[in-house]
This record gives sequence, structure tokens and C-alpha cells, in this order.
Amino acid sequence: MNKWFKSGSPWIWLSAGGVSLSLISVLGLLYLIASNGLSYFWPSTLYQFDMVNQKGENVTVIGEIYDRVTVPAEQLAHLDMDFKGEDSVERLLIKTGNRELVPLDFRWIMVPEIVKTTTPKDLVVIERRTNGNFYGFIESLYLDGKEVSHERMDEMLDRVTELQGQMEELQKVDIGAINYQIERLRLKERKYRLKDELTAEREQAIAQELKTLQQDYIVLEQKLMAMRDQVSRDHMNVRAMDGQVVKIGFEKILKIQTNNQFGFFEKLGTFFVQIANFIIDDPREANTEGGVFPAIFGTVLMVLLMTVIVSPLGVVAAIYLHEYAGKNAFTKLLRIAVINLAGVPSIVYGVFGLGFFVYMVGGSIDQLFYPETLPAPTFGTPGVMWSAITLAILTLPVVIVSTEEGLARIPSAMRHGSLALGATKAETLWRIILPIASPAIMTGIILAIARAAGEVAPLMLVGVVKMAPNLPLDGNFPFLHLDRKFMHLGFHIYDVGFQSPNVEAARPLVYATALLLVTIIVALNMTAVSIRNRLREKYRMLEH
Amino acid sequence: MITVSPQNIANSESKIDLANLSPEQKALDINNLNLFYGEKQALNDISMAIPKGQVTAFIGPSGCGKSTLLRCINRMNDLVDGCRIEGQINLHGQNIYEKHVDVAALRRKVGMVFQRPNPFPKSIYENVVYGLRIMGENNRRVLDEAVEKSLKAAALWNEVKDRLHESALGLSGGQQQRLVIARAIAIEPEVLLLDEPTSALDPISTLTIEELINDLKKQFTVVIVTHNMQQAARVSDQTAFMYMGDLIEYSDTNTLFTTPAKKKTEDYITGRYG
Repeated sequence: MNKWFKSGSPWIWLSAGGVSLSLISVLGLLYLIASNGLSYFWPSTLYQFDMVNQKGENVTVIGEIYDRVTVPAEQLAHLDMDFKGEDSVERLLIKTGNRELVPLDFRWIMVPEIVKTTTPKDLVVIERRTNGNFYGFIESLYLDGKEVSHERMDEMLDRVTELQGQMEELQKVDIGAINYQIERLRLKERKYRLKDELTAEREQAIAQELKTLQQDYIVLEQKLMAMRDQVSRDHMNVRAMDGQVVKIGFEKILKIQTNNQFGFFEKLGTFFVQIANFIIDDPREANTEGGVFPAIFGTVLMVLLMTVIVSPLGVVAAIYLHEYAGKNAFTKLLRIAVINLAGVPSIVYGVFGLGFFVYMVGGSIDQLFYPETLPAPTFGTPGVMWSAITLAILTLPVVIVSTEEGLARIPSAMRHGSLALGATKAETLWRIILPIASPAIMTGIILAIARAAGEVAPLMLVGVVKMAPNLPLDGNFPFLHLDRKFMHLGFHIYDVGFQSPNVEAARPLVYATALLLVTIIVALNMTAVSIRNRLREKYRMLEH
Repeated sequence: MITVSPQNIANSESKIDLANLSPEQKALDINNLNLFYGEKQALNDISMAIPKGQVTAFIGPSGCGKSTLLRCINRMNDLVDGCRIEGQINLHGQNIYEKHVDVAALRRKVGMVFQRPNPFPKSIYENVVYGLRIMGENNRRVLDEAVEKSLKAAALWNEVKDRLHESALGLSGGQQQRLVIARAIAIEPEVLLLDEPTSALDPISTLTIEELINDLKKQFTVVIVTHNMQQAARVSDQTAFMYMGDLIEYSDTNTLFTTPAKKKTEDYITGRYG
């Protein structure tokens, strides 16, 4: 035994064990997120359960199976349920949808009560713009009030989808642009008024412009109204599980799926379409349905902005600390402070960002440059720029420390060689030292991105919102609106998982969003890593 | 003692009186130079004149201060913390240690090659033109010409002319050292300082570099530090022997190696210590 200890094998086992443990946790995490998240997109079988309940009534339940648990019989006793002779009962969580008929999307059913389980081919799930899914059988279709055959359903749905797309574009792009211009005109007028430069001439010009815009607006609105009439032309009658027939207008329908008729490849196709929709669509229904595009966009934009801010700042600070600052007690203190900064809880940065950047800096900017919009703040309110800056401060120590390490590793022969050729210290830095240190700088940036992309807590204070009406980037000048609030995947997970009205329904969405967040962070990291590797390759021969 | 080769005889033809150089013959004039690393004195009252267009060698045992003296000439010692210098080094009658001297400009006039080859992690071409680019030269034709001229002067042109734009780090040690020499002479300095340029190289590369030094003195004043006495005898016109921070003896190479004036010099070159 003693010999075995001396041979060093225990340490090898111990370290190998550590590695395997980390590997298992990483793989386990990915598996959990991926399996739960991806199953959200897989078109599930639609069941019809014919049951006889405790009171002896016949009940029919239609829906998708979400969960399956076994509960002890006595736990159900207080619900006046009695399962003779059984210790435990299996029960199923069924998503039944049909929000206009029943208050809850989900219902538990007891397996022993089920008399017959079928998967009728003509059972459909209708995904709607509002009120969630509807499960049932299509009874009849009406085109402009006249009944038509079922074959025309796809054609009618396509027409509505196209019209809806046009309406959305009209609303968001055209009418949005007019609203934006009207708002700018109003601000312009106010600006002149504040400066006492509002001449009659200017006032007239603005009024004239406003008039044209309003006329345009009226034209567009009429167009929109006409389209609205068009879109609500058709409807269908659908029979729900309890036999009630419900009228659903086509304008409310996103998608009609007959999952039970799908073969494997059709399901696979639908699966990928659903994933694509999840990525490119806007969220609906308080974020519990639809896609997460604004959140993806916000996350990536914020991280990129953060990188653009933190990289030069961190590199410059590291250069000063390493190349120019004297080696005395003060710089030592400074260095310790920088390292300790990395240990400050992130929410503290959020508080700092809100107090300093948003209220102080932002407030001052508003008073200096945007007095016309006050009291409504422009930069004196949380926004994507403040988030990026706050996270840049948060990740600054990481960049400083790795850049400094990179600078320290450069052989002094490089500096001397350059200086001996008549280069000044600054020229040596620019032409020799920084290029050689670039892989180390990239390492710092990679760590910064990894940290920043995962931060949520400080963002809640300085710019993230549950639902942002506009992206920070659009077609209206100046295109990149740094003052706007934005959505973030990390916050989206929190919001959907804990703040939504229907937590049960949102659970798969939480996993799907988490999977997406992980994918995006990995993608950002991989990009940075590949840039670093290319740089490393370039300077590889130096390391000997 | 050392065999006198034909080359040494050739050197002796250009023999000059070291003690009485005219100002035109002087490349550098070192006057009462003292150097301290903190409290420790590393050079004691060195005075010597280095003649123009010749090869001057500094020899001596390790730690005698020969490299330190060399690094004084282009003020590389400024980079050492706690280094203090007293005395003068005159280049064209101008003391390089005066306050307002532009160190970068000085180093352009006094080039230096280090013990270990230190090419930059750039292409061969970019290495050679580095000094020129620093001086603001960006004309492609001028740079091309300078590269060819310098590489030819450093006897490297034929080996690298087809891969000028490949990384300099792919060259062998000897090639790298010649590249570094090419880099130093591309900016056409007046004085070229070589700090044990062959100590990290194999014998064949050493030979190439030594031949190169002989060519270089046609254009530049060369000062070389070497711990190899044979090398000093082979390449230099003048030799200075240093010991413990003192300049013991300084005369033309032939005299120093055949009839040294000082006992210490004789002991060293006959191999009694060092």
C-alpha cells in the first residue's frame, strides 16, 4: 500500500478523476439543456383520451403529453379520489390549450381513469397569434362567409400569412418611420423654442412638413385598415374536446398542424422549421411563445459593443502599467486593486452603472445635448450603451491582467533590437510589442466575452427589459440607437422561467433559450479563439 | 603565440598611430568613462579613441565590462535600471551623453547586433526595412533597393532572395544573425556595434560572419566584442584588452597578440586565465 502511494499512482488517479468529473458535468449539462430544449421543437403526437372520472362521467381530453409522474394514492385522497387497492397512481400532465374554453392550458389526468387512448389522424393543433394553441377537429371552413372544402385550407392560410406579413411591414417600417420623423420634428420645434430661435418661417416649415407626414400617415392607415378587413375575411369552425364548436378567424392562425399524419421525415422537417422560427421570430404572449430574435440580437450587439469598449481600454491600461509606470508601492497597490476588481459581485457593477453612468453621466448628457426631450430622458435612462459600458468595466481586469502577462512574456531582445534600430519606445510598442502580445490580448478578450455574455444581474439595472418594442438597430437615422433598451437571452430565461403567467408551459422554452444562449456564447468564443490561434501560429517560433 | 596570418599583415598595412589620431580619423572618442550599476562600479575611467573605417575588438574574461562598454556607445545602458554614467563619449566631437541628445537618432547612427539573433516575427523583407520605415520611408522602390543592397552586403541575398516575404523566424541561426546585420546596416549607420555576434552560432556560420565583418569595415566603423581571441586576431585591426572594468591595453591587433606590453594581457592571451 505504502509502495502504491509512493509510486504516484494515487495522484494520477485523483487528477484523472477530477478531469472526468468536469467532463461529465459539462456533458451532462449540455445533454440536459439540449434534450429538454430541442424536444420543444419536435412535433409531438396528439392524443385523445376517453375517460370515465370518479363521478362516473364520460370525459374526453385532447392534447399533448408533457409529463408523467407517479404519486402515492393517499396524496390524492383529499381530492376525493379513490383508487381501490392501489398504492400509487400514475398521472399525466396534458397540454390541452383552448384557453377560451378552460382557464388553464394544462390539466392532470389519472391513468386508471383512462378507458381508451387514440391518436385520431384528423386531430389538429392550431397555433394562434393570441390565446395559445387550440386542439380539436376542423368541422368546416368558410371563405367570405361561404362554406368551402377542406382542401382550400392551405391556400386560405397562405393568403392570410402573406397579408399579415405585409401589414406588419407597413406598421413597423413605413408607419414606424413616419412616427419617428414626426417625433423628430416635434423635438426640433421644441429645440428652437428653447433656444428662442423659433422664427415664423421655421415654424411654418415645420408645420408644412408635419402636414405632409400626417397626410402620408392617413394614407397608410387607410391602407392598413383595408388590409385588416381583408385579412379577417375567412374563418373556420373547430370542435374542441368537449364537443363545443368554436369559430376561429384565419387572421388569428399562424399554423395548422396535423401531427398524427406526419411521418418521421415530415416531423424532422417541421422540427427544423420550428427551430428556425424560434430564432427569427419576435416573442408573443408575454414571451411565452414565438421566437427570441430580439433577445439574440440584443445579446450579441451588447457583447460586441462591450468588446469594442473594453479592448482598447484594457490594453492601454495594461501598457501603461507594464511599460511606463514606475515599479513602486503605488503601482503595486494599483495592480492589486485591478485584480480585486475582478472579484466584485456583478450586481455591484449594476448598481454602480445605474448610479454613475445612467443617472450622472446620462443625466448630464441629456441636459447638455437633448434638452428638448426633457423631462423624458434620452441617455439618462438604462440602455444598451450603458449596459455595454458597465460590462466593459466589469471585464476590464481580465483584459488588463492577461495583456500584462503577455507583455511580460516578450523577450527583451525584441525591444532592444527595435530600440537599437533607432525606434522610440512608442514605435517599438506599436510595431513590435503589441503584435507579439496580440495572442495574449485576444485571450483576455475571449475571457471578457465569456464573462460578459453570461452576465444578467447588472444588466437588469442598466438596460435589459422584458420586451423592447424596437431593436437598437433599424432603418431610421442614426441607425444604431445606443440609448434604446434591449432584450437579452439571459434575462429572457429568467423572465420566461420565473415571471411568466404560465410557468409550466414556459419550461421547455427556458431550456431552448438556455441552449441558444450557450450556443451563441460558444460561437462568439470560438471566433475569438480561432483569431487567437491564427495570431499564435504567426508568432509561434518565438516561444523557445 | 598566435600565428600571424596574411590577413593580419594586410591589417598592419593600414596601421595607424592610436595614441595620436587626428579628429578626422576618430570615429568615437571615449573620455574618462565611469559606469556604475547602483553602488557597484563596472567601468573604471576608460579613455580610448576608436578609429574610423576599421575593426576594433574588445576582449577580456567574462564580466570584465567589455559588453557594458560597447552598450555605452549607443546608450543601450539607459534601459538598465540604476545605471549611472560619468564621462564622455564623443561622436563627431559631440558628447552623446549630453542632455538634449536624441537617443533614437543616435542609435540610427550607431547600429548594434546582439549576441543572440533577434529577428522580429515579421517577414525577411519587413525585418530589413524596419529601420527605414521608422524613419518614415515608405517608397516601395527605395525599400526594395535597400533590401537588396543590405542583404547582399550581409552575404544573405542569394539564400533568401526567393523568399523575402516569408517569416524571418524560419531562417537558421546563422542566417538570422546575418539578417540582423543586414537590418542594422540598412539604415546606413556610421558605427556598427557587434556584441559577441558569433557566440550562439556553429563554426561555419561563424566563418561566414567573420568574412562579412572584413567586408563591412569598408563602409562602417566596426566595434566587436568577443570572448574568442582567435576571432579577435582574425577580424580586427585594433584590440582592447579589458579586465575587471579597466582598460588594460589597447593597441593594434598584431602588437597586442605578438608583443603585449602588459603582463596581464600576456597571461590572458596565453591562456593562464579567462
